[in-house]
Amino acid sequence: MSDLDAYRSLYIAESRENHEIIVKNLLVLETEASETAIAEIFRAAHSLKGMSASMDFWGMERLCHAMEDVFQEIRNGKLAVSRELMDSLLIASDQIEAMLDDIECGGTGVPQNLDELEHELKRWIGKEKAGETPGPVSPAAERGATPPDDKTTQGPSGAPRYSISVQLKESCDSPNLRAMIILQNLEEVGTIEKVTPDRSTVEDGDFGHRFEVEIASDAGIDALRTIAAATDVLSATVTSVESATPPPPPAPEIRPADGRDRKPVTQPEKAERSREVKNIRVDISRLDSMMNLVEDLVINRGRITEIAREHQIKELDETLNMIGRSVSDLQAMMMDIRMIPLSHIFNRFPRTVRDIANREGKEVEFIVEGGDTELDRSIMDGLNDPLLHLIRNAIDHGIERPDVREAAGKPRKGTLLLSARRDRDNVIITVEDDGQGIDIESVRKKAVEKGLVTPDEARTLSRDEIIDFLFQPGFSTAVEITDISGRGVGLDVVRTTLESLHGKIKVESREGGGTTFELLLPPTMAIVNVMMVRINGQRCAIPIHNVAEVAGLVPGDIHTIGGRETILLRDEVMPLDRLDDMFGCSPATEILVVLQDQNRKRTIAVDEIEGQQEVVIKPLSKVVGTVRGISGVTIPGDGEVVPVLDVTSLIKET
Amino acid sequence: MGRILIVDDTLFMRTLLKNILFSGGHDIVGEAGDGDEAIAKYRELKPDLVTMDIVMPKVNGIDALKEIRAINPGARVVMCTAVGEEQMVKLAIKTGAKGYIVKPFQAPKVLEEIHNVLSS
Repeated sequence: MSDLDAYRSLYIAESRENHEIIVKNLLVLETEASETAIAEIFRAAHSLKGMSASMDFWGMERLCHAMEDVFQEIRNGKLAVSRELMDSLLIASDQIEAMLDDIECGGTGVPQNLDELEHELKRWIGKEKAGETPGPVSPAAERGATPPDDKTTQGPSGAPRYSISVQLKESCDSPNLRAMIILQNLEEVGTIEKVTPDRSTVEDGDFGHRFEVEIASDAGIDALRTIAAATDVLSATVTSVESATPPPPPAPEIRPADGRDRKPVTQPEKAERSREVKNIRVDISRLDSMMNLVEDLVINRGRITEIAREHQIKELDETLNMIGRSVSDLQAMMMDIRMIPLSHIFNRFPRTVRDIANREGKEVEFIVEGGDTELDRSIMDGLNDPLLHLIRNAIDHGIERPDVREAAGKPRKGTLLLSARRDRDNVIITVEDDGQGIDIESVRKKAVEKGLVTPDEARTLSRDEIIDFLFQPGFSTAVEITDISGRGVGLDVVRTTLESLHGKIKVESREGGGTTFELLLPPTMAIVNVMMVRINGQRCAIPIHNVAEVAGLVPGDIHTIGGRETILLRDEVMPLDRLDDMFGCSPATEILVVLQDQNRKRTIAVDEIEGQQEVVIKPLSKVVGTVRGISGVTIPGDGEVVPVLDVTSLIKET
Repeated sequence: MGRILIVDDTLFMRTLLKNILFSGGHDIVGEAGDGDEAIAKYRELKPDLVTMDIVMPKVNGIDALKEIRAINPGARVVMCTAVGEEQMVKLAIKTGAKGYIVKPFQAPKVLEEIHNVLSS
């Protein structure tokens, strides 16, 4: 098993692809009887079975074998696709996924209920077949297609006759196939006159492991011996037999055309040798370490550039320019490699939608668009759960039951649209339903009930502010808690997750007309656009997505409310922070930077703004540990280590 | 030792087989993931032997075998078979397959068969 372990990750990756093909096509099959879908599932199950057998994952092998059998029946028109059958198959495919998870974690992927699962699938095979003739191809039909056993019809051959006796090994996998190959090969060099037991018996495998052949051939005894001594052959004897009638003078050439090819094929010139492996698989962790190296390179390139500038060495400058270009290309390429199309996670959702809709008694048309939009892998990884939650929410709370929809003059079937597109700097993913929309008044009422606001405050809150309550921990408006949406994971987790991915979420709701969630994500997190500022002479970087605006600091606008400084900026009152505790008291703050996180704002006073820069943010070393207000460091061109402000935590403190 | 073209729709199986054949001293001159590609690669690379999976997308192994035998009637094609594929292998043998290896592959058996077919 240990040497097979080397193949485990390859097995997992490819098995998951096949599993995805199965699920995707099962869903296709549910809507239309597509032959392509049937063939695809059959093939995927077949591949999965073969790979699993090779890895000795017998549980998976058995389950896939059963699934393959079911599709063989469907393919042969012996079994009709029904909802119940689909359910069985989907359960099996879920199990396949769970088994793959187990295998990925080092297990063998054998579930406790394997027998039951297998039986569930096999039940379908027996069902419709009862009463019909067994077997897809009857031996008789097969025999009918073969040429007649004896070739005496070709006329007596003048070639010498031989008797060949072949004993196959007990360990031979399919003695009949082996015998067929030997017979086929013998036929190419002569005329088989008799096979004992007869050929059809041999082909059906009912011959123990021994058979005899009488053949007329010019190939010579050695050639016949070579053919007879094939793989799986325990012993083969070739003896010359006296012809009953004296042979006529030898014919000029009676060998079949193929006979000449028994000589080794001459090798074409080596120049033709080309190994065309166009795709390779690379472990993501290796990509991550490569990315780290590229980042180091970017940082050091910047340092050398500064040094070159200082010493004004022309040649070095020129060389550095070239290196700079290569490093930029390398960086761009590395980013590109890490990008994967969103279809990677989008493909899983049709299944989820089907299940939830079925369970909730809702009719949903699920449309997926823009699956080819690419996103950095690290972001993609974190996106599955938030999207899943939004989709569940949409079906569970958004889209109404068919009768309710009809009564409201809507089509019975609700529409759920999941789409992705690339904006200038962002990837935008929307989850849009045409359901009932968010009931603002009920959210308002609930916010008061939960004590989040006073009744008076609640009345003055805007629509957006009310909707924002949905993102508060533990806030749920569902009248009844279902096992899907009401599992304690709310929109607050969705927002938190998105923020950890440097993303944002926006909601738009039309009462009675549906809800749209819009997710804004950076295509990558590896390189961040920051604003470089100086506070008390020290440099500090602020991620651009956290900067709302920059303004001049007018001392007259600063007011002290409740013991702390606040600033009035265009009718908006915001707390002002001087970050003295972090950078020391600065005598020369002239500029105001408005920071934002979610919908909350806060201002800080800085000395000057140096500009905007793309940087690589490195986490703080473990020795340093976590530092309040600092999310990491970056090293711009001059080699100075610059802290990066953690705006989220700074704002939370206020 | 021969120049071999490996045909299978899974990278996993190709890799497994490649390593077995490589350990037996063979040269893997190419790989193909479906029947169409197999035919094209056969024309291009003219390998001494082809290992051919049966169930594949687009053109399956049997049809690819037919096509390859049409290109070169002496082509040596060894079928890769699994449990339950006997009927298909029979058809392949009648179409001119020179041998078969059984999944899950056992290195000694695979090498023996490849050796025998190459030296036939």
